[in-house]
Amino acid sequence: MQHAVGVLESGLCRYVLISYGHNALSGDSMRRMLMELSGDDAVFGHFGATGGYALAARRAMHEFGTGPETWKKIAVGQRKWANLNPAAMMFGKPMTEADYDKARWVVEPLRLPDNCLITDGGRAIIVTSLERARDLKQPPAVIMGMGQDHPSTAVAQSDWMAGPTGARKAGETALAMAGIRLDEVDACEIYDCFTYTVEITLQDYGFFKPGEGRDWLQGGTIEPGGSMPVNTSGGQLSEAYFMGLTPIAEGAMQIMGRCGKRQLGPETRTKSPEIIMISDNGGILESHSCILLRRW
Amino acid sequence: MSYDKPLPRINADNQAFWEGCRMHELRFQQCKGCGHVRWPPSDRCPRCHCTETRRLISKGIGRVYTFAVYHVAYHPGFAGDLPYTVAVVALDEGPHLLTNIVGCRPEQVVCDMPVEVAWEDVVDRITLPKFRPLSSAEGLG
Ligand SMILES: [Zn+2]
Repeated sequence: MQHAVGVLESGLCRYVLISYGHNALSGDSMRRMLMELSGDDAVFGHFGATGGYALAARRAMHEFGTGPETWKKIAVGQRKWANLNPAAMMFGKPMTEADYDKARWVVEPLRLPDNCLITDGGRAIIVTSLERARDLKQPPAVIMGMGQDHPSTAVAQSDWMAGPTGARKAGETALAMAGIRLDEVDACEIYDCFTYTVEITLQDYGFFKPGEGRDWLQGGTIEPGGSMPVNTSGGQLSEAYFMGLTPIAEGAMQIMGRCGKRQLGPETRTKSPEIIMISDNGGILESHSCILLRRW
Repeated sequence: MSYDKPLPRINADNQAFWEGCRMHELRFQQCKGCGHVRWPPSDRCPRCHCTETRRLISKGIGRVYTFAVYHVAYHPGFAGDLPYTVAVVALDEGPHLLTNIVGCRPEQVVCDMPVEVAWEDVVDRITLPKFRPLSSAEGLG
């Protein structure tokens, strides 16, 4: 996204298409990519992304007392949003907290519903100048701030798995560029490869103090009708996994008011969004990007 | 029965480490500039960029920094081991090593528990450094 803004600002082009498409479910390239990710860690039976995030999540349990009771609120809350989204893979498949508790372990402490989906499909967004956007068919979502931070430490060498991750500095940078405070944000679309990723990102952005996520999530904070809606399409946990395009596309669509039954505002008993905070994350918490979008 | 799990891919960088393992020694590079003991191997120090190193042999004692318990076999060679424990061990000398915890059940493992190296000779030329609960209080610093 920052590259897109750069080539637009320098006049190299007028419209930038950012797209992602993958037959990750029906093909085997995602599985192969995840297996190759582990390198010689495979010698010890350590593979893919779930194991890496399980290591990070376990350290967080030890350091600030999080755990499945916190992650369950995220998994179940996002599933409620997915059930308002006919395009979601988990549409029509509600999940209760008891369902979560009964779900099988994949790599403990992560259960199956702590993991994102694997999806066939894609997403695309178009970036252009505000001046050109005025004449387009849809109202634009305006980029008001961006930030990145890339600690880049492999999980086996990291001593900050329980945060602060790159989300801390990336979030601060984006808020400073936008010239707003965190309490001016109306909703979040958080990269959610795993439930723990959502918790540590919201925590590092400053929505709650370490270990206070469980209390903050009580009473449906992130759900339809909640005070801080999060991952309103169902996210990667319950809608579809399209890398960083899942959160950014949903954030833009919500700002544009194109989300049907899951639209933030009166339809879902939530605040009509002026500002949405959006994250992307790479590796095992190795890189982080944050974008703030606002209504025009 | 033949060994059916993945083996390390030996290259110029990690050769000294795996040769050490075969001799039941945990060999690391220690920076001559700043004393930092590093893993994985590299041609210069990530802290001070010095290229000079000396060999440091770890006592093989450390603590479990974190761990994860596998309930799914992503490779058929591990199917018979489920559930098994993958851990990051913080050695007393500094390096973090990804490994397995053996010699106890997964539910007995906790973060920060003291562990010691448990060598596993898996094939002719390869020995894996795994870790088990520390047998005595000796060596705890
Ligand atoms: Zn050095």
